[in-house]
Amino acid sequence: MAARRRRSTRSGPAREPAERTVSRNALYLPLALTGLLGLLSFMPRVQGSVRLTWSFWGAIAVLLVWQAALSLRLRGAGVGRSLTTVFRKQHYVQAMVQLAVFAYWGWYWRPVYEFGGLLLAQLVFAYTVDMLVQWSRRESYVLGFGPFPIIFSINLFLWFRDDWFYLQFLMIAVGFLGKEFVRWQRDGRRVHIFNPSAFALGLFSLVLIATGTTELTWGSEIASTLTLAPFIYTHLFLLGLIVMYFFSITLVAASAAAVLFGGSALYSAWTGVPYFIDSDIPAAVFLGLHLLITDPSTSPRTPPGKMVFGALYGAGVFALYWILGSAGAPTFYDKLLCVPLLNLSVRGIDTLIHRLKASPAWDAFRVDWVFSRPNLAHMAVWVVLFGSMSALGRTDGTHPGDRLPFWIEACQEGRRNACDRLMQLEATYCGDASAWACNELGAAYAEGTITEPDAELSAAYFARACELRFQAACLNLLESDEVARASPRTLDLRLLLRAGGRNLMETPEPELLDRACMHGWGFACERMAAL
Amino acid sequence: MSEPEQARAGRRWGVPVAEVALIAAVWISLRLAGSAPGLDVGTTDRTVPLPPEVPGFSADAWYLPDDHLLGFVEIPGGAFTMGSDPALDRLAYDIERWSPRVAQGSVDVPTFYMGRYEVTVAQYAAFVRATGRAVVEPSALAPPPDHPVSNVSWTDALAYARWLDDELARGEATPPGLRALLDEGWRVALPTEAQWEKAARGDDGRVYPWGDEPRQDRAVFGARGTAPVGTLECPECPYGLSDMSGNVWEWTRSPYQPYPYDESDDREGLDAEALWIMRGGAFNDGPQNIRAASRGGADPGARRPFIGFRVALVRSAAR
Repeated sequence: MAARRRRSTRSGPAREPAERTVSRNALYLPLALTGLLGLLSFMPRVQGSVRLTWSFWGAIAVLLVWQAALSLRLRGAGVGRSLTTVFRKQHYVQAMVQLAVFAYWGWYWRPVYEFGGLLLAQLVFAYTVDMLVQWSRRESYVLGFGPFPIIFSINLFLWFRDDWFYLQFLMIAVGFLGKEFVRWQRDGRRVHIFNPSAFALGLFSLVLIATGTTELTWGSEIASTLTLAPFIYTHLFLLGLIVMYFFSITLVAASAAAVLFGGSALYSAWTGVPYFIDSDIPAAVFLGLHLLITDPSTSPRTPPGKMVFGALYGAGVFALYWILGSAGAPTFYDKLLCVPLLNLSVRGIDTLIHRLKASPAWDAFRVDWVFSRPNLAHMAVWVVLFGSMSALGRTDGTHPGDRLPFWIEACQEGRRNACDRLMQLEATYCGDASAWACNELGAAYAEGTITEPDAELSAAYFARACELRFQAACLNLLESDEVARASPRTLDLRLLLRAGGRNLMETPEPELLDRACMHGWGFACERMAAL
Repeated sequence: MSEPEQARAGRRWGVPVAEVALIAAVWISLRLAGSAPGLDVGTTDRTVPLPPEVPGFSADAWYLPDDHLLGFVEIPGGAFTMGSDPALDRLAYDIERWSPRVAQGSVDVPTFYMGRYEVTVAQYAAFVRATGRAVVEPSALAPPPDHPVSNVSWTDALAYARWLDDELARGEATPPGLRALLDEGWRVALPTEAQWEKAARGDDGRVYPWGDEPRQDRAVFGARGTAPVGTLECPECPYGLSDMSGNVWEWTRSPYQPYPYDESDDREGLDAEALWIMRGGAFNDGPQNIRAASRGGADPGARRPFIGFRVALVRSAAR
């Protein structure tokens, strides 16, 4: 392979677009935006919930008080504030890509579209907070599309439910305050340490985990409904190419994906079961590695640094998935929690790479490609990697872990962690009101063969199943020597077969049985044959 | 150390300290999350207020009736006539018919003990307070303490029986006579459908516990709400039990099955939606539903203002 020792000239930071001062007395703008937020508080969705309305009005009140205090301070000092506009490509391109994700996902999961008004309100709030934070500390505010990717990024991973929406406003404020106040010196510039959206998401994730209050958010629904959109991996991949092309983040995303794909494949080969239950990389993680960790300001600048950063993200997600699962916490936080830690490591990674580059060993292994635009070469490798994974059915295709009978069989065969995963899946389905799943869990705790016996938990699961009218569970509550089991009922099948969260509530029964049969439910095949 | 050196040292240690702090934060969060319950069985309430006393009941003995067997009345063993004969009882429902050929059947029920009264609000409140069990329907504990508890599901009733069994076995307030029975292997349970019917009508096939005609002075029915348990005396009732007709429907431990009555627990019908038998009719029913042979079937998760339960003492491992 031809290789020459040649340094690329295109890897430096992007040039800043020219700034244009719009106004020197711009304090009217946050006031106007607050007024707009007030108008948005009259949307039917907001007015439909007293707590949501108060969340809006509370946010408006805080903004007004802040503006009044700032205005008084400035008037006392006899100074004004100015506004300049800078439209940075990394902001508006990223925002358009994120919007394309919302549009495609929302087409198949309507709560996304229904959330549009609240998304707009968050943008208005974010701009106002950003202006007030900056004008509280300096003379000029740089108006651009900066808040768009932050808000979109937050909302691609976590929304608070309407009754708790004031926490969404708080999360946004925390993100912007973190961006303004948590800074360090890097490459001779004072820059923010943390990716603002990842900082807010990470912080709030910790609190939600610690307090066991994940149900205040749509987090688990968001993580599981991305796959409702067909070919979501391909969609994210294609959108990711745009970001990669413009901002040279290919190495970050590709190395993260390579670590995750590789880790999943190794685990699967070792244990015979998938690591991430129903995918090789969960769709939400795939989204995260394209749009959450690729902020150029908070990731390394050198190609080797980007590779290390991406690989660490992949390894971090892999590890956190296991840690969260072992602790009984929701696993969808895996993609969020390691980002702040990685952001903190960026300077260390840069230093490490610089030291390595300075060492004689580096020259021995260094290979400079002949390409004048190495990012395109990186993208080509990424395209080949993704194409290979797709050809092997590891992205958009059906996955063996989608099927509950696969896990039942794997558990019976004693495959590593299969019984734990089975119980984890059954607990999710039981929570969704599948009586069959509750009875199976009750049986597991009563028999004590695949988990430690626990009479209290067993009785609680049997009682839940019984109240959902599962006769076998009611009999089990009567403390017979023999644990009663029965096949899933039609309603159970509607819940158990929703691979990726697809709503099967209206699906005709024959179609449901057909699907169940394809998933490996033997009783469904027998019933189909009898029809 | 000079100021620039201090600043450099601060910069050197700042990032590692922040990283350790982040890892510690994740660890603490997970430790805290680990203490969260694995199954949400509803809110628990160990602060539910208990009445200082309820006349006729012992506050020291789980608010059970204040007598030597804490309200359990012996129902002697033997055969009784189960089901309804439309020739004798014109209000009989079809599901009370024994078989297409025979209107009624004879069922032999071994000796057992039946609670004299329906389980009261005070008794159920003591259970909730002791166990922290969720009160899914808060109105269950709203009526006065001597009214029958209602708005409780079949699973709530089973849990109460299991708790009371443990309490009686362990508690110091258990009278010697009752303790002797428990030592012999008697257990607190919901009555079976057959036990309930025998306790209600005895062995002479009467339509109501007191005879063959409905009487407003013997049962709480056609009313707007429940009455305190035992309000209406029933000297004609075969075993002196109160409210076997009316006040609230009473859960049994029998799954709904067509007659002839089968004591087994119907393990062949597991694919059917669960339906459990309740007996006795309620305050809001008419004369037809409060007959001793009347059978009601309800969803085991149903919590209704007209469904309660009473417990029995049975010689069986089953509870």
